[in-house]
Amino acid sequence: MVSLARKNLLHDRLRFVITVAGVAFAVTLVLVQVGLFMGLLGKATVTIENASADIWVTSKKTPNVDFAHTFPETNVLRVRGVPGVARADNLLIQFMNIQLPSGAEEGTLVYALDDFSAWNLPWKVNEGDVGDLRRGSYILMDRSAVRRFGTFSVGEYREILGRRFKIIGTTSEAASFTTAPIVFMDLKNAQERLQTLQGKAQYILVKLAPGATAQAVAAEIRRRLPYNDVYLKDDWARRSRTYWVVSTGLGMNMGITVFLGVLVGIVVVAQTLYTSAVEHVKEFGTVKAIGGSNWDIYRILGEQALIAAVVGFALGGLISLGMRPLMARLYLNVLISPAFAATVFAGTVLMCLGAAMLSFRRVATIDPALVFRA
Amino acid sequence: MNEPVLSVTDVVKTFDEGAQEVAVLKGVSLDVRPGEVVALEGPSGSGKTTLLSIMGCILTPTAGQVKVAGRTVKHASQADLRETRRQSIGFVFQQFNLFPALSALENVEYALNVKGVGGRAAAKEAARVLETVGLSDRLHFLPRDLSGGQKQRVAIARALAGAPKVLLADEPTANLDTGVGTEVLALFRDLAKREGKGLVIVTHDPKVRKVADRVVGMRDGRLMSDLAGGFEPAPAKSDMKAVQPKYRRGQEANTL
Repeated sequence: MVSLARKNLLHDRLRFVITVAGVAFAVTLVLVQVGLFMGLLGKATVTIENASADIWVTSKKTPNVDFAHTFPETNVLRVRGVPGVARADNLLIQFMNIQLPSGAEEGTLVYALDDFSAWNLPWKVNEGDVGDLRRGSYILMDRSAVRRFGTFSVGEYREILGRRFKIIGTTSEAASFTTAPIVFMDLKNAQERLQTLQGKAQYILVKLAPGATAQAVAAEIRRRLPYNDVYLKDDWARRSRTYWVVSTGLGMNMGITVFLGVLVGIVVVAQTLYTSAVEHVKEFGTVKAIGGSNWDIYRILGEQALIAAVVGFALGGLISLGMRPLMARLYLNVLISPAFAATVFAGTVLMCLGAAMLSFRRVATIDPALVFRA
Repeated sequence: MNEPVLSVTDVVKTFDEGAQEVAVLKGVSLDVRPGEVVALEGPSGSGKTTLLSIMGCILTPTAGQVKVAGRTVKHASQADLRETRRQSIGFVFQQFNLFPALSALENVEYALNVKGVGGRAAAKEAARVLETVGLSDRLHFLPRDLSGGQKQRVAIARALAGAPKVLLADEPTANLDTGVGTEVLALFRDLAKREGKGLVIVTHDPKVRKVADRVVGMRDGRLMSDLAGGFEPAPAKSDMKAVQPKYRRGQEANTL
């Protein structure tokens, strides 16, 4: 079969390039912006995802994992007594000031536990041993801190809230949504840094015993700790993400970005296809005169839109993938999952077909008799 | 004689122009038989193109009847009209109306695709038809790389694609120089005779009379004359009154 759609599209190369560029721009905008947002959201829950806790006990109405409130550290004893609990430990997640060699102070997010190795935290250790943290004033610092804190290496000291800590190791991927680098230290050391933390915990991590049901154990903990909230791992991750998406307006911001991207795509594709349809009106009249129907012409426009969508998506996708290493240098993760890419592709196809439909009315009214006009 | 492949009977066509109703065709009747070449002449505004559109099932008559290849298309739906065009009618246009992005072969092949012939069969048939019009060495040329005469030959090949019984040509020599126009007309006549197609040529070109079996004259929405073809036109003032003595089928030529 002869593809008049493809031939016409490629016959006018400049228009084809403009159409594809418009689609690619929209695709890149959506993939990179939303990918960045997804990457950031991933940071919002990265510790929840990686920690081997099945249940998180928090203070009441804690909005997300970074913004914790305290409760008595003895609550953990009541949790440990709940049938089905294999292990329960206190966790502190607290913003603290760190003194830099330059004399400046920066904020860091301190994760403090008795035994990190029991909870798969941190999950990517480059240097050092988490087991050594409890032996003294030691910390593990995430590599992402280089951007905020300057270069550092194992064996150097940093002062956190007036006390010197030796860096005994480094980690990767441990950064919060707020971009504050994460520092890991022993629970007792962290409690001693702030008076408000003494005798307190902010979370209780719970590991289920084999055969225990998460829902049932969580219900029992809720019953025993009525002044705490209890979340299953996934629910807690969702709550943390939802906070950033909904409460901060970032979700709305992303929505507007996606809308603008799609709008740009629709306008460019609709404009070029419509202009093309108008310029080819005599050809479409000829198609009708020789026995073609409106649907034959819709198919031509639809096929052109589909080609623009596929080529534009491929180009936009390549540009977006090419931007990932550049973004990574800025410690920004552009997260483009296969599901997300497939969704954007489907959206691109719909966008282009929708844009093509704007021309349908124009071609539907073409009178085949125009072929007799000189 | 054979049954007509195209028959127009008492056709009236009016158009609404605001509050006014303008009658463009006022009771026209015309038969075209297989292998017959009919030249349709007349001044601008006489209704030739409207009649051609009705014969080509692009417009429907306000009154009267049209029969194409045995199929009556009076009161036909748009889908029926389209189907008749698809199956029974081939068009050749003054401006050629070729698809500029398609090669000669693809132009003909696409027409076959529209008529429901696809795949290799369409390509093979398109090549055969182009060979018929003497363009077998230009199959893969784009229209922009063809001369005016060659473009019109491609247009003729496209009209022949799918073996329609009726060919309708609108000023097919208007954009061709004299020599090429004569060649194209000879080709038209040859094809119509050889393949038994009814051919109607709307024209202002006096050369068409030489290849036509009949020359039908129109004025003010009526058929005014129906002459035997194959003659040179009168050199001057060749209006309808001047050729009236050569009427072949009577003085009242409105119902031919």
